Amino acid sequence: MMIRILLAALTAWTMATGAARAEPGPPLDPTEAFVLTITPALAGDLQVSWDVQPGYYLYRSKIAAMAPDGTSLPLTLPDGEIYDDPWLGRDEIYRTPVTITIPDPQGLTVLHWQGCQQDGICYAPQQAVLDADGTIRPQEAVEDDPFASWQAEGGAEQSSGSSADDASIPPQSGLTIAEDRGLVADLEGRGGILLVLAGFFGFGLLLSLTPCVLPMVPIVAGMLTRQGQGLTAGRGLALTGAYVIAMATAFGLLGIVAAWSGANLQAVLQSPAAIGVIAAIFVMLALSMFGLFELQMPAIWQARLSRGTGATGSLGGAAVLGFGSALIVGPCVTAPLAGALIYIAQTGDVALGAAALFALGLGQGVPLLAVGVFGPQILPRRGAWMERVKMAFGIVFLAMAIWLAGRILPGPIILLLWSVLLTGCGVALGALDRLSPSAPRTMRVAAGTGLLLVFAGLIQGIGAALGADDPTRPLAPLAGRTTQALAEPVPFQTVTSRTALETALDGTQPALIYVTADWCVTCRSIERGPMSDHEVAAALSDLALIKVDVSDFNAEAQAVMKTLAASGPPTMIFVDAAGAEAQGSRLIGDVDTADLLTSIAQVAP
Amino acid sequence: MILHRRALLASAGLGAVLTTLGGLTWTLLRQPADGTELTLNDVLYDPDQPVLGNPAGDVTVVEFFDYQCPFCKRGHADLMAEVEADGNLRLVMKDWPIFGGASVLASQLVLGAVEEGAYAAAQAALMATPARLSEDEVRDTLTAAGQDPAGMLAAYRQDRDRWDGLMDHNSQQAAALGLQGTPAFIIGQNLLPGALDRDRLRTAIAAARGSA
Repeated sequence: MMIRILLAALTAWTMATGAARAEPGPPLDPTEAFVLTITPALAGDLQVSWDVQPGYYLYRSKIAAMAPDGTSLPLTLPDGEIYDDPWLGRDEIYRTPVTITIPDPQGLTVLHWQGCQQDGICYAPQQAVLDADGTIRPQEAVEDDPFASWQAEGGAEQSSGSSADDASIPPQSGLTIAEDRGLVADLEGRGGILLVLAGFFGFGLLLSLTPCVLPMVPIVAGMLTRQGQGLTAGRGLALTGAYVIAMATAFGLLGIVAAWSGANLQAVLQSPAAIGVIAAIFVMLALSMFGLFELQMPAIWQARLSRGTGATGSLGGAAVLGFGSALIVGPCVTAPLAGALIYIAQTGDVALGAAALFALGLGQGVPLLAVGVFGPQILPRRGAWMERVKMAFGIVFLAMAIWLAGRILPGPIILLLWSVLLTGCGVALGALDRLSPSAPRTMRVAAGTGLLLVFAGLIQGIGAALGADDPTRPLAPLAGRTTQALAEPVPFQTVTSRTALETALDGTQPALIYVTADWCVTCRSIERGPMSDHEVAAALSDLALIKVDVSDFNAEAQAVMKTLAASGPPTMIFVDAAGAEAQGSRLIGDVDTADLLTSIAQVAP
Repeated sequence: MILHRRALLASAGLGAVLTTLGGLTWTLLRQPADGTELTLNDVLYDPDQPVLGNPAGDVTVVEFFDYQCPFCKRGHADLMAEVEADGNLRLVMKDWPIFGGASVLASQLVLGAVEEGAYAAAQAALMATPARLSEDEVRDTLTAAGQDPAGMLAAYRQDRDRWDGLMDHNSQQAAALGLQGTPAFIIGQNLLPGALDRDRLRTAIAAARGSA
């Protein structure tokens, strides 16, 4: 019910924003417009997903996977949106996240894709090289020199054709895998579907600790007492088992609905407006958990249901009762459930959604199974601790709201929100309370934990003030400054001409030839970043380091670049002692420490 | 406590402002650096490049484009109308075929039309079609516009070093400029990735004129 209202609100929102669509902003980097995620799936398959951002689209016809020898791998592509427009022509496109499966790749796979920003820019073809286990290789592994192939194209007597497709692929910086994949995708990526299911089972178990499950206890107890003398533990287990499985099935159906609507509304769920709404809903749910208001089905319905169906005493009757109970409990656990449903909706995977919610229902039913076997007296007494569980849920929801808002609000604001939440939790745990000498140990532990949280909150606050935007590294702006001051500049020999370059390459040791210029911003960030890394600096000490300075972009500089087949700074070329470039070691554009170390290792003695 | 919170809020606000300013400065620094010092003359005055509009115009408009790029084609009529109306614009259409075989063929044929003086007409005909083209559609469009695709291909092959070299320069420049795709405009010294409607085009031209 909740989700339906949510979806309706979202649809209205998109329609409103769609009507007033403004011109597109500056285009995202292609790696951000189509965030690539590779997840190993069953039987060695690779699941490839592009998180297509709102306002961007991928061409269905431009998605391809090839073996290194150039043969195409068979792909089943989902149907796209048929787009027919006087300018685009008739084409099939994906405006929403799209997932394909590469069936059990043997060895390397080269993945191709291409797309556009609606009304903005069409990106040059993108590609990535994948290992059999789904690891993305550094870009240069396949395309040594994109322009060499163009040249070769020109030399051959060929006017056009499919091979010309590769002719003008510009060098691309390495792909970044999305860090922000959502909880379900994250669990799935780490440990497969089982971990997702276990996670949801655990979540259900936690939910069973909320007072929401208590209305079900009398129903179950009533069902069991009606069995009279004939009730054995086994019969009790069978009855409650049927009850719990039916309840879990009801939740599973909810999962299907959520995942199905998610698959259709994923793009909507990704829009800043929707993220804002969902974050607001989480805040609202948190307030409900803190007891500001109650979400519950009218008591009269609950009573009628327990009277109406409870009398049968058969397994079937128990199942009907369980299914109906899910409806009773539903509204009470709506708050946490909505959280679970939103995650499921984001995956858009119907089977996973059903299974996950089923697991959640099972988890929630575990205490009831215990009641079935041992009778109601084994349940923990309800009391203040249950309120604390609700509080904990409330805090988790606030954290989720901030986590979601992190996608749409500037980093420092998010750090500030974390700061407020952490400090608030710390204070709630009694960090600032004065403890009497006779305070129990539990209170002291709580106060200590509270102090730690307040401290963490202060650090987030300082991070916010420093303009940091990564909550996991709030003091990064400070740290960045220190490393820069401490890093020893790597000793490069600077050359500006072909003769000087040849002299510098004396043939006694492997070398790094680094094409750079003083106006090259990326070069500065490479030098300050990965190249200042201690490990990289150590690895570089075995190489002759030659800097080709093309700041004066004169004829000689261009000639040097032509000799090196470099298209521009920054380009790093790794040659062995004999002056031969190591296959696939060239780095073009922005690089990270791992790229550098890999390439250095290819020529290092 | 209240003071503390206010200070936090204020400093967070300041942090946000500084981050934004930093990003802006970086963008501003980066674009002229790449655009002017590296290749401005090469980009604007490639000797092999056919020039449209007024060759002696005071502002050069460069567009990196592809014959199958929808937003290049949708904005093309506006661009040509503005070049016509302004009268003092030098237009450089840089072929950067990123959409595969048919795009490469289209660029080759249109460049092959330079010799016959049909470059502008051939380009106009191909830019007026829907984005997605097959190789046959490229030839048919040119034929329908009264051109001779076979003759153009022969002319292109005749001068293949020049035209392949030109497209080679274009894609190298695109890479050096950090262009991600088409369309991408250079107007004066400003790099403007993505489609431009007529208003934004005019503003950019006026800005270039102001700073020239």
